[in-house]
Amino acid sequence: MIVRYLLAALVAGLFSGVLMTAAQEARVVPLILHAEEFEGGDEAAPAAEGTTPTTEGAAATHEHSSLGAVLLDMASSLSPVSVAYAHDGEDHEEGGIMFGMSRFSGTLLANLVTGAGFALLLAGFSLVSGHPITVANGALWGAAGWLAVHMLPAIGLPPELPGFPAADLTQRQIWWIAAVVLSAAGLYLLFLKPGIVAKIAGLVLIAAPQVYGAPQPSDISSAVPAVLGAEFAVAALATTLFFWIVLGLSLGFANEKIAKAA
Amino acid sequence: MAVSNTSSITLSASDRLIAGVLALLLGGFLVFGAGLANSAVLHDTAHDTRHSYGFPCH
Repeated sequence: MIVRYLLAALVAGLFSGVLMTAAQEARVVPLILHAEEFEGGDEAAPAAEGTTPTTEGAAATHEHSSLGAVLLDMASSLSPVSVAYAHDGEDHEEGGIMFGMSRFSGTLLANLVTGAGFALLLAGFSLVSGHPITVANGALWGAAGWLAVHMLPAIGLPPELPGFPAADLTQRQIWWIAAVVLSAAGLYLLFLKPGIVAKIAGLVLIAAPQVYGAPQPSDISSAVPAVLGAEFAVAALATTLFFWIVLGLSLGFANEKIAKAA
Repeated sequence: MAVSNTSSITLSASDRLIAGVLALLLGGFLVFGAGLANSAVLHDTAHDTRHSYGFPCH
């Protein structure tokens, strides 16, 4: 029985991860590719344009075409060497994509793993706290997850494009994890615990990481245009909200299927 | 095993805790690996995902 609840979370997470990949390819990845043209200053930009004129041009002009770009990416992921993969190799000398996959299949795999991970975290939170996730309240659970993992931490550390200035990585990761944990605990007290003391304690927990302050870079100059950064921040938060609401609903649906089968 | 019609959770309290803690540990491990782990191969594979989710990386 325990395993079936974990499987329900996995199914919901994988499903949400697939939908999230489509949303990302439509709204977010074109902005990342565009920003990579500016990454590393003036020498990287002409090199990127010179080697991959077709995809870079397509990414820049067709930023808002959705289905066509997704299908194109799916098609290119089937060919052994895609243009996107060659482009990725320029930015990252060491490392490289696992199993020689294309850039798109790497993103899909990462979204599946991330989706399953967030689904298990959401299911685990629900099981430990004893508040079941159903179809009726699934969207609200998803929205709360988005607040805790994306919106509230983004107040201190907005989603960054490649080439953005940033403070020390370890310090940012520690602040980010602390902000997610404190926000989740605060939202739990605020929404699921009765009593005015719990509400106030919840607000204090949510405010604590913001009052402490996220690590900020000392120099905020960047070669990436500010408009691109603003578009990206909105696109990243909008697609993650979509992901979490799909995740909450599908987890509620999977839970109800299991309850009926039991 | 307590089965109720109003709740979608049909586990006993102790099974519920075990399932919940297992899910939290496994989920945390997966999210850490995809989003935060400091490995060049993991980073490059998950590059666009990490940026899209706003994970602090680079």
